[in-house]
Amino acid sequence: MNHADTIVVRVVAIEQVTPQIKHFTLAPAAGGNFPAFSGGSHIIVVMRGVNRIHRNPYSLMSSPGQLETYEVSVRRMEQSRGGSHFMHDQVQVGNELEIAHPVNLFPLDKIARKHLLIAGGIGITPFMAQLADLRTAGVPYELHYATRSPEHCAFGGLLSEREPGRVQKYYDCTGELIDFEGLLSNQPLGTHVYVCGPAPMIEKVVATARERGWPDSHIHWEQFSAPPVGDAFDVYLARSSLKVHVVPDQSLLESIEAAGVEVPYLCRGGVCGFCRTKVVEVDGTLVHNDHFLSDEEKASGKTIMPCVSRARCSKLVLDL
Amino acid sequence: MLITGIKSKPVYAPLQPDLRGRYHLMVGHGVGGEPLLRVLGDLQTAAPSSGAHTQILYVTDAAAADSITGQIRAAKVANVRLFERGDELLAAFQAVLAGSLMGTRLYVAGPESFMGLVMRIALQFNLNKDEIRAEECGTLARRVYCIHCCSATENVRTNITQCGCGRWLVVRDHYSRRLAAYMGVMVDAEAPGELPPVKEVFL
Repeated sequence: MNHADTIVVRVVAIEQVTPQIKHFTLAPAAGGNFPAFSGGSHIIVVMRGVNRIHRNPYSLMSSPGQLETYEVSVRRMEQSRGGSHFMHDQVQVGNELEIAHPVNLFPLDKIARKHLLIAGGIGITPFMAQLADLRTAGVPYELHYATRSPEHCAFGGLLSEREPGRVQKYYDCTGELIDFEGLLSNQPLGTHVYVCGPAPMIEKVVATARERGWPDSHIHWEQFSAPPVGDAFDVYLARSSLKVHVVPDQSLLESIEAAGVEVPYLCRGGVCGFCRTKVVEVDGTLVHNDHFLSDEEKASGKTIMPCVSRARCSKLVLDL
Repeated sequence: MLITGIKSKPVYAPLQPDLRGRYHLMVGHGVGGEPLLRVLGDLQTAAPSSGAHTQILYVTDAAAADSITGQIRAAKVANVRLFERGDELLAAFQAVLAGSLMGTRLYVAGPESFMGLVMRIALQFNLNKDEIRAEECGTLARRVYCIHCCSATENVRTNITQCGCGRWLVVRDHYSRRLAAYMGVMVDAEAPGELPPVKEVFL
């Protein structure tokens, strides 16, 4: 993926939906419609900051049936590497941004007999577009949505209005917890569960579903990791004959891109496996932060996902 | 015309218990009783309390020894139901699935055409590959779907067969899970009456 593949967009509306979440409505700067997408898709928003370029994945929240605009919500991260602060503090209505074409790594199963959606906090975002698809699909579905408090429950009112009887909200402040055991013990055959939210919630849902006998083909989750901060190190790109320094708060992928080498990517969040890169040599340990490689692959030290993973070493050689 | 080497041809494997399942549903026909008893034994050895969550649906058949039927009838599981005809079992199977929960594993054993009909119902309930174990045993006679008149002929043993509509069909390896049948395509459309040698191949 490179810049030629991006679409220039204009920010047409910004709404503060909770104390931490801003909602952005984007329209194609050149007019016309956006490309079609399916519920669960995300786009990469390219933000050209003063010192560096941020490329963050955000789930599309608008209805797939309406392509005049795309909508995304951005939570202001406390430990931001700059992307979410840029969106919150710099972006104004009328500004232009670039986005990459939508990619769906979290699609609804097309032949499911029932859909069970579980959201935590900002994890509601992919479900907003999926719900638009489900409202006309004629298959039973229900959404369980946990947030800190009513104030933090983004789109809570809209959801109750659009999905009467199909949304259950839970608030941490009043001690309401989703009963994962109960929910996952009593679903009819052919149900698919989808979870998006904080890592502990995803782990709990996946572990409970497996323990209740759910096969992996019926369990779906999405979690974009922000690249964690780590130690600085040097990477050598064998085929390009380049040496690149990776600073603590810049990802391996970003550092390689800044040096002018293109690496194919789709999600930039450790999910899709697209940026998988061969490790030629490392004189220390790889720090794998992705959700894609198996434990065996991680242990083998032969491949790395540069979007979120790093190395603790003095020398890493990649086949790039 | 591509007859063999087609990916849609189902692949079977000896039944193994799936201990990750919470409920176990075993469905068999005739000689399929033997692998069912074997996997039931393996399951109960590995998970002694699994019998309370296990059901067996079985079609008795002259091809299977009486002792197999007797052992199935006596199995220590929550429910055993014996049927004299395949279609009776299929109707009961559909009703069981309608009341089943996520966490169910399906074990199927028997002749291929019987398994195809079972799998077709399982597909309607969105059971995926990781929820089904299937072991083929008994005859390889095929259920053949005539792509011209849309009817299915049971128990086809030959490479070339005549459909009820009168057409001579070549039986392909192209399998439809939705139709639970192999595709049969008119073999002498271009040279009427010229048939390749007819051989018994699905025994």
